[in-house]
Amino acid sequence: MYDSSAGKKIAETRALDKNDQEIMVKSMEDGIETVWDRFACQQPQCGFGQLGICCNRCAMGPCRTEPFGKKPTRGTCGADADLIVARNLLDDLTTGAAAHSDHGREVVEAMLATAEGRAQGYQILDEGKLKVVATEYGIKTTGRKKEEIAGELARALLEEFGTLKNRIQLTERAPQKTKDAWKKLGIMPRSVDREVVEAMHRIQMGVDSDYTNILLHAMRTALSDGWGGSMMGTDCSDILFGTPTPLKAWINLATISRDKVNIVLHGHNPVLSDMIVKASEDPGLVKRAKDAGAKGINLAGMCCTGNELLMRHGIPLAGSFFDQELVIATGAVEAMVIDYQCIFPAVIQTAGCYHTKVVTTSRKAKIPGSIFKEFRPETGLDTAKEIIGLAIDNFANRNPGRVRIPDKPMQLMSGFSEEAIRKALGGTYKPLIDAIVAGKIKGAVGIVGCNNPKIKQDYGHVTLAKELIRRDILVVETGCAAIACGKAGLLVPEAADMAGPGLKSVCNALGIPPVLHMGSCVDCSRILVLAANIAKELNVGISDLPLGGAAPEWYSQKAISIGTYFVASGVYTVLGIPPKIFGSANVTNLLAAQLTGIVNASFAVEPDPVKAADLLEAEINRKRKALGI
Amino acid sequence: MKTVFVQPELCIGCRHCEVACAIEHAENKNIFAAVSEEKRSQPRIYVETGIHYLTFPNRCRHCDPAPCMQVCPTEALARDAGTGSVLVHYNRCIGCAVCAMACPFGIIQFNCVHQLDTDREVNAKCDNCIGRQNAGMIPACAEACKTGALVFGDADDLIRSSRKDFTLRLITTAETGVEAQKMPANIRAYRAIMAELAELQGET
Repeated sequence: MYDSSAGKKIAETRALDKNDQEIMVKSMEDGIETVWDRFACQQPQCGFGQLGICCNRCAMGPCRTEPFGKKPTRGTCGADADLIVARNLLDDLTTGAAAHSDHGREVVEAMLATAEGRAQGYQILDEGKLKVVATEYGIKTTGRKKEEIAGELARALLEEFGTLKNRIQLTERAPQKTKDAWKKLGIMPRSVDREVVEAMHRIQMGVDSDYTNILLHAMRTALSDGWGGSMMGTDCSDILFGTPTPLKAWINLATISRDKVNIVLHGHNPVLSDMIVKASEDPGLVKRAKDAGAKGINLAGMCCTGNELLMRHGIPLAGSFFDQELVIATGAVEAMVIDYQCIFPAVIQTAGCYHTKVVTTSRKAKIPGSIFKEFRPETGLDTAKEIIGLAIDNFANRNPGRVRIPDKPMQLMSGFSEEAIRKALGGTYKPLIDAIVAGKIKGAVGIVGCNNPKIKQDYGHVTLAKELIRRDILVVETGCAAIACGKAGLLVPEAADMAGPGLKSVCNALGIPPVLHMGSCVDCSRILVLAANIAKELNVGISDLPLGGAAPEWYSQKAISIGTYFVASGVYTVLGIPPKIFGSANVTNLLAAQLTGIVNASFAVEPDPVKAADLLEAEINRKRKALGI
Repeated sequence: MKTVFVQPELCIGCRHCEVACAIEHAENKNIFAAVSEEKRSQPRIYVETGIHYLTFPNRCRHCDPAPCMQVCPTEALARDAGTGSVLVHYNRCIGCAVCAMACPFGIIQFNCVHQLDTDREVNAKCDNCIGRQNAGMIPACAEACKTGALVFGDADDLIRSSRKDFTLRLITTAETGVEAQKMPANIRAYRAIMAELAELQGET
C-alpha cells in the first residue's frame, strides 16, 4: 500500500516549490518514474567519470588514470590526467556551444526565409532592432524595405558561421579593453562553426596535448557561442518576434487549465512555438476546441521555449527542466510539443501513462514513440495549426479522474531585454552606474542554469537570489534559474521588500523586481550586452565591473559554455555542481585560481548557496575596491 | 590466510569490480559474449553508496566459522581447504535463503547459474574466484580495481600496512613532520563538495 505521507516527505527533499511537491506526490501515487528515481538508480556513479579522468575517445581505450597517486598515470596513448580532463572538458563545452549556435543558426535561417517571402506566417516585427543590428554590419538601412535589410543581414550573419571572414562582427560589442585581452590571449573567436570544428579536431588523439592550450581554445569556443551563435539567436528572435518589454504573467504548474485544451511548449527555439501562439488565436481552432467540450486553448511554456514565449507574449510558464515530467503527471496535458535541447527521452514513458501526446518537430531531435510533425518556416503556420488540432482531438481522451492541478499560480514580471532595461533607466545606464557608485547597489550577479538531482530543485537558485538581493546586489536571470525565482515569487516588484535598503529604494523608484528575468539560456547574451554597455559608458573592461555569475543547479554542457564565456569575458562565476575536472589538480587550479591573473575572473565551486553569496559578494567588493568605489 | 581486503577510502564507485566479477562467473568469460548469455551472469560484489556519495565494495568475507554454513539445512555450503573459501554446491541449494538471513554482510543473492540445467535460483555468492586462485591468479575484483580499494593478499600483511598508514596519519596530525600517505588535495576538495551537496539534500 502506498503511503502518501512518506511520498510527501520525499517530495519535500526533492523540490522547493509546493506545487511541484503536490504533483510529485501524485506522480508517485500514479507509479511514474521521474528524474529523481532514475538518479537514485544510478548510484553510485563512476568516480573516474565524475573526476573527468575516464577517456573514451579512441579504440585503444577506454582508459583512465588512477586518482590517488598510483598507476596508471597515463592512458594507452600517454595522455595524463591533465590532458584527459582538459579534452573531456573541451568536448563537453563544445557540445554546449554547438547546441546554442545551431539554435541561433536556425533563427537566422528563419529570418532569411521571412525576408525572401518563403516563410509562412512570419514577419519582421522589430524593424528598429533590425536596423540597429544591420548598421553594426555596415548594411545600408535608409530607403530600403525591411525585408531587403533582413535578407542582407541574415546572409551576413550566416557568413559568421563560415571560415573566410575570420572574425565575428558581434564581438565588436565588447568594450575595447575586453577585446584587447582576448586578442592578447589569442582567444578572439574567428567564426562560430570554425571554433567548434577545431575543438573536435583538437581532441582527436595526437593533436592538442597541452592542457593549457586546450583550455584557451575552450574559452575561444565559448566566446564564439556567447558573442556569436547565442547572440544571433537572441537578436534574430527579437527582430522576428519582437524585442521583449516588461509585462506581467503567471507561472508554475497551476497554469495548466482545468477546462481548456492544454498544450505544453517545451524546448528552446521560438521559431516553432511562436507560430503555435499565432495559430492558437485562429478563430476556427478556438471554435473546434469549444466544439470538443473545452473552454478554449491554453498554451503553457516549459524550459527555455517557455521563457521565450513568456518574455515576448506573456504566455504562462508551467515550469522548468524538472517540471517536464510533473506537468504530464497533472493528467491534463493534451499535447507536449517539443523542439530540442533538455528534453528527457523519458517524457514518452511518462506521457504513455496518461493521454498526453508528445509531438516532436525537429529532424534533429526525434524520440521513438512520439508523433513527428516536421516543422519548417515554409509551412510553419499550417504545421502549427495541425499540431493544435491534434491536441484538441485528444481532449476527449482526458480522464478527469486522473487530473490534479495545483490551485495557485504565481504572478511574475518578465520581459527585461537589455533594451527594456536601458529604456527603464531613461535610455542610459547612468542612473544604474550612479546607484552602484553610491553603493545603493553593490553590484550585479547573473544567475543562470538548470536543475540537477544533486540539489533540491530550485533551492540553489532561490536561496542564492534571496541572499544576494538582501546584500543589495541586483540579480539578473535567464533559463531555469529565472523560472525557479519566478515560482518562488521573486520576480514581482513587491519582492523588493526582501532586498537590502539600497536595492529596495532603486527597485521601488523604477517599479521593477530585484531579480530581473532576462530570457532563455541563449539570452545570456543579453547579460553580456548589458555588461558591455555599462563598461563602455565607464570606459573600462567588463572584468573591471562589480559583477558575478552563478550556476547553482547546472547540469548541461551548454552551461559549461555559458560559464566559460562569462569568465572569459571577465565575470567571476560560481558553480553549484562540481564540473568533471577534479581528477586534475592542474586544470582545477588553472580554472579556479590562475585565470584571475589572465582575465581577472575565475571559476569557483560552492554548492551551498549562502556560501556562494559570500564568494560573490567578496568578488564584487574586490572589483569595487579596484574601481575606487 | 589470503583475502580480498577493502580500503574503503580508495573506492570511487566505478563498479569495475562488479563488471569483472560478472564476467568471471559467466559461462563465456569475456564481456562481449557474457552480455548475451541466456542465464545472464550477475556480479557477486556490490558497490553501494553510504553517506556523502561515498561508496563501499561489499562482498563475501568468507567468515570462519561462517554463519551461512552453520545454518544451511542441506549442507550446500562448504569450505575449500586450500583457500579457505566458502563455496556453494548449487545442486544441493534449495533456495531457502536461511544463509542470507544469517549473513552479517547481506551479500547473498539468489540467481540462475549456468552450472545448473534448471532455472532454479540458487545462492550465487562470491566464490573467491576459486578457479582463478587455483590457476595462480588473484580474484577478478581485486585485479580489476584500479585504485587499490580491493587488494588481494595475506590478511595480516594488509592489515599491517593499513595499521602503518593509520599510525603515520596519527603522528602526522601531531605535527611530527613525518610524510604520511595522504589523499591528494584535489580529491579531498571534490569529496568535500560532494559531502556538502549530500548534506544540502538532507542525506546525512
